[in-house]
Amino acid sequence: MSQDQRQAWFARMVESGLEQAMFAPGDILAHATPEVLATHLPPELLAKVLQASLAAGSMTPERVLETVTPAILAQHVPHEVLWACIAAAAQRAGVTQS
Amino acid sequence: MSAKGFVGAALASALELGVASPDDIIKHATPDLLAAHLPRSLWARLLTACLGAARVDATLIVDTVGVPNLCEHVPLGVLWACLAELSTRALGGAATAAPKHAMPGPGSKPLEIATPPPAHEPARATPSPAPALGPSIPGFAASGGSSGDDLVDERPTPSAPSRSRTPTSQRFRSSATGTGRGGSAAPAAPIVAASSAPQRRPQATAIAADGSPLPGQRRVQTETQHFDAETEVGAEAGGDDWKSTLAVDDEQLVDWTSADDPARR
Repeated sequence: MSQDQRQAWFARMVESGLEQAMFAPGDILAHATPEVLATHLPPELLAKVLQASLAAGSMTPERVLETVTPAILAQHVPHEVLWACIAAAAQRAGVTQS
Repeated sequence: MSAKGFVGAALASALELGVASPDDIIKHATPDLLAAHLPRSLWARLLTACLGAARVDATLIVDTVGVPNLCEHVPLGVLWACLAELSTRALGGAATAAPKHAMPGPGSKPLEIATPPPAHEPARATPSPAPALGPSIPGFAASGGSSGDDLVDERPTPSAPSRSRTPTSQRFRSSATGTGRGGSAAPAAPIVAASSAPQRRPQATAIAADGSPLPGQRRVQTETQHFDAETEVGAEAGGDDWKSTLAVDDEQLVDWTSADDPARR
């Protein structure tokens, strides 16, 4: 499995989890904390997030994820963090209880 | 919320991206599970496909049944276990099927996966001597051209006594206890070797009758010999009293040496 394949898979899982309402943007940012984002996102992305928030007047998880899309998350944020978010959502949904 | 939709999408994308293979799914969704949960209509389709295929394998099963049908009928926990295994493999064994800690609250920090702590700073090498000194401190080169190592070497160490102390102690011991007599008991005192004096016995007996040292005596060649206790006694006595103290019988001298010297026992 290449890095690109794994990255694309995690991007789709995050995207699917948002589409299926398995978790919300706030749940993602509960794992991909500001410290994590500040550490792993490139400066230009951080600047874009701040610019979007300044333009809207507030910074919300939804607005952050409008800029930092699942694909970008999977590209920069450690996949362990994303998986922790997915696993926590699955546990909340009772999926993990076989 | 559609957990089935999420798991189905995750498995489908895993198959599409090559992250997972049909074998990974059938390993969890075993034929027994399929038999127990798939409806008859799906089994009929599966049997038809298997009968018409040259080879029956996991790919045929998954392609025939389809991931959406699997997610619809197979217990979600089974498919989640498959997904968790895929994730564990993708993350190199670091992922877990479910977090074992309590679920994070809205305001809590659920995961402490930030950057690793900075590595310890490598141990600093021994700093070299400062190239520049204060204006009032003369440099080593200016005070004689020696480096800083000379200061360390000049320190007295217990294992390396100085040369000036060894002959002094050895001479005092020889004249006071007589252990140097015979030449074989004392192991090569440095002062004796330096002045080429063979033994101590001739020093005691080579005194003239008037108390003055003999002219051919080697002891007058070095300055340290002037501090010999026996010589000082003779010089300060002045009269003939010292003769009576030194005028001992030879038998007494021999008997005393052989009988009382503990080094010869």
